[in-house]
Amino acid sequence: MHKPDSSNEPAPPPAAPTERLFRTVVESSPSGVVMVDRRGTIVLVNREIERLFGYSRNELVGRSIELLVPQRLRQNHPAMRQEFLLNPQTRAMGAGRDLFGVHKDGSEIPVEIGLNPIEAEEGFFVLASVIDIGPRKQAEEELRRSNEELERFAYVASHDLQEPLRTVASYVQLLSRRYRDQLDADAVDFIDFAVGGVRRMQHLIEDLLAFSRVGTRGAPLVPTGMHAVFENTLASLHAALEESHATVTADPLPMVAADAGQLAQLLTNLIGNALKFRGTDAPRVRVSAERSGRMWTISVQDNGIGIAPEYFERIFVIFQRLHSREEYAGTGVGLAICKKIVERHGGRIWVESAPGSGARFSFTLPAVME
Amino acid sequence: MALARPPIEILLVEDNAADVRLTMEALKEARVSNRLHVARDGVEALHMLRDGSGAVPRPDLALLDLNLPRKDGREVLQQIKQDEALRHIPVVILTTSQAEQDVVQSYRLGANAFVTKPVEIEHFFQVFRSIEQFWLNTAKLTRP
Repeated sequence: MHKPDSSNEPAPPPAAPTERLFRTVVESSPSGVVMVDRRGTIVLVNREIERLFGYSRNELVGRSIELLVPQRLRQNHPAMRQEFLLNPQTRAMGAGRDLFGVHKDGSEIPVEIGLNPIEAEEGFFVLASVIDIGPRKQAEEELRRSNEELERFAYVASHDLQEPLRTVASYVQLLSRRYRDQLDADAVDFIDFAVGGVRRMQHLIEDLLAFSRVGTRGAPLVPTGMHAVFENTLASLHAALEESHATVTADPLPMVAADAGQLAQLLTNLIGNALKFRGTDAPRVRVSAERSGRMWTISVQDNGIGIAPEYFERIFVIFQRLHSREEYAGTGVGLAICKKIVERHGGRIWVESAPGSGARFSFTLPAVME
Repeated sequence: MALARPPIEILLVEDNAADVRLTMEALKEARVSNRLHVARDGVEALHMLRDGSGAVPRPDLALLDLNLPRKDGREVLQQIKQDEALRHIPVVILTTSQAEQDVVQSYRLGANAFVTKPVEIEHFFQVFRSIEQFWLNTAKLTRP
């Protein structure tokens, strides 16, 4: 521990804040502020601490800080304070653990605590700023519940909605199978339209499910070699690549923090689109990567029909399509899934293009820090 | 055919009337002679399997849906596979579910195969041709 060399201090500003002003700042801070001395005796609290713990400041000042520590954790707390004194530095308390304080009425309060050692003429103190994370915890809990509900809904949709659809399709097709010879051309057309409608509905349900699963079924983001994911994507697109005589190349691709399954889905959708919206030439697709700070920018460049700038935003919105189903099949979910995947990874996705001159889809992903 | 074999007895556990009929239609096209018995929920299925009267013959093969009223297919499967007198019966799970958890759980409970009901009628009939080919022609079934 050392004191700053006072000879190098700049001259005090003309109107130095008064002690009263400092008090007001501490007092009106939205975080709880509590200061203790070396022995853990409370010497100062602000209004938020009074609100959060239900004590008046007279009930707190002069008492041990352990008063605010839940009974079950109280025994170990003095030892932890001693440890902090051996190596006092500004840090978050209990990194990675859930912290709790205890209210005057005995209820536990989830909190986040930052610790700052303070050396003053009056002695050594520890200033703790206490943030009430109850509302956040509650929001997280609600989010978890809502995700669970969504997951249940997804299962119901996949099973209960598909079943009646399958029945319609099956029996219309059975009609066609058994009686096609006895039907005229109109009847056969009608059957084909009915089956087409059901099939489309099934694709919509499947794609909606895939979209909802990006959030609910995501795996943790772990260091992932993007090149292997790219190779797998090519393997899974093998038939489409062969059929369209496409050439797909990639620069060396980096390690990123990602959910490999979702990364594969992202590349599959983007490369798949490049093949689908091809021009008159055989598709050429190039995947490249560029590092900028803590993110990688990955780009998928094609030589396809391109997109007019007025649609750059709209294509990422679910169910938005730019073509009739006769021109290009699809449900308008693919790029919405891409956007949701990239955003789940903390990145963003955009497109640069002009009609007739190909499209370049780019997205950012967090780099793996060495 | 060298020998006239007795018809294969098949138990179908399925609550959806449309699927029951579709299965009948598919099995009508099978070359192996078969008789289809239908239970409309899990309770009825176990009744038929444990019926001592001989009114319902012990099936050679069971086709079991997972989501059923009263007692669901997972429970029926578990009880069949825990019953000394029934566990030899091959059980083919036939369901609309594609959920990984259903596939894993079914095999854990002792299912002999897991088949997702296909959407396309041609594929549906194809599934029944495969079931016929394997379970009724290829695999040796027991007749205790």
